[in-house]
This record gives sequence, C-alpha cells and structure tokens, in this order.
Amino acid sequence: MNPFDPKAAVLAKHAQHVVLVHFPIALFLTGVAFDLAARRMKIAGLAAAAYYNLLAAAVFVIPTVVTGIAAWQWQLAGQKLKGLLALHLALGCASALLIWLVAWIRFRQRGITSSSLPAYLLALELLTAMVVALTGHLGGFLSGVNVPA
Amino acid sequence: MTMAKWRWTHRIVGFALSTGMALAVLPAVDPRSAASFPAGEEKAEVKIDNFAFTPQTLTVRVGTEITWLNGDDIPHTVVSEDKTFRSRALDSDEKFTFLASKPGTYTYFCSIHPKMTGKLVVE
Repeated sequence: MNPFDPKAAVLAKHAQHVVLVHFPIALFLTGVAFDLAARRMKIAGLAAAAYYNLLAAAVFVIPTVVTGIAAWQWQLAGQKLKGLLALHLALGCASALLIWLVAWIRFRQRGITSSSLPAYLLALELLTAMVVALTGHLGGFLSGVNVPA
Repeated sequence: MTMAKWRWTHRIVGFALSTGMALAVLPAVDPRSAASFPAGEEKAEVKIDNFAFTPQTLTVRVGTEITWLNGDDIPHTVVSEDKTFRSRALDSDEKFTFLASKPGTYTYFCSIHPKMTGKLVVE
C-alpha cells in the first residue's frame, strides 16, 4: 500500500476518526495556552492567535464527531455501547459541546481585548481542556496507543 | 493338549487380539470419524490478549464450538471478513461463541483494532 495514494489514505482499514481527532485537540489546547499567555503578558497578538485557534478547533470538531459516530455505526454496527467505549462517547460529546461553547463566547466577545475577557471564560477554557484531555486519554487507551508494551 | 493344537489356539488368540486392537485404534486415526460428533460437542478457545488472537490460526472440525475470550483491559470485537460471524464489543473477560457449521477458511479481525487479525480453518 502506497501511503501517498489518496485512495489508500481515504479507504485505509482504520477509522479516520483517530486521525482527525488530533486537530481539534491541538488547536484547542494551543488556543487556551495563547489565551493564558495573552492575559499574563498583555499581548494583543497572542489574544488574536488564541481566538483563531479556538475558532479553528470548533470547525474541526465537526468532522471529528461525524467520523466518530460513523466508526461507531460501521465498525461496531451501532450496537449499544458500554464501559470505556460509552465513556469515551459521552466525554467526546461533552468535549465537542464545550469547545463550541467556548468558541461561541469568544466569537461574541471578539472585539474585547484579552485582558478584559471575563474570568469565567478562562475557567471554562481550562475545564474544557481537562475534559478534552480525558477524552483523548480514553481514546488513546481504546486505540491501543496508551497501552504499555 | 497336543503341541499342534496349542500352536493353533495361540495363533487364533493372537489374531483376535491384534484385530481388536486395530479396530480400537482406527477411530482415533481416521479424522472422518469426527463427522459423527453432535454439533457443539467439540470446543476450542481463542484468547485475546495484548492486542493479538492466540492461536493466530485455528483449525477445527465442522461442528466445533469456538469461544473467543477477551483477556485485555480494552474492548475488542471478532468480525469475519465475509460477515459469517460478528461479535459485539467484548469487554474484559467477556466471551463470544461461534459454532463452525460450514467448512471453509474464515479470516477475521477486530473492528476496533483492524491490525488484529486471525484465521479460522473449518475442515
């Protein structure tokens, strides 16, 4: 199989969810890091970078959720989930909603400088980052990446 | 008893004993004898451990009941490529059983971890 063959990449015998999921995770965590740095250093450029990262994260959540649900329907025939799989699904849905909420709040307050952003937003961003990390940890465990050799 | 009579008796007893032993051993040697086993009487097990099916290739006779036991901490599935059998997601220590009623070679995999593959040969 040629890894640079588009057909091979799209029809690869693995769920695309495990590939796409890294984009919203990285974008969101980077956005939160930029927001924290912007607040501390009071640099407008960092706040703008945070804003665009959080927005991009919200966009990338869509294909991640779609491929996650597709994997559940196709690979597991849509069976009722339990245990780790059910927990991963629940946390994944919570992560998606929280990322969209943060992006929506951030979008509405895009004119406000980072230092004047409400304190609850930063708390919400940190809470979301924790839920995203936990979801990713479970996803890694399910995929076998986090399992010790 | 004369010497000649004793020899004949010895030969007859010897022939009867060897014929009896040969008949007793024959069913164990002839694989076709399994065809008379009732379905599900023979059992085989495949262990799922450390992201692998063990044994990777299992050869059984028609009518054998195969059980996959998930010994991993992570859910796995058992899905044949031709969709002859398909388990739900098996959590730790959960089992999936399939009765091999048709001869053939079935390649199967875990749909959560497609790198995990195995082969079931039903004779």
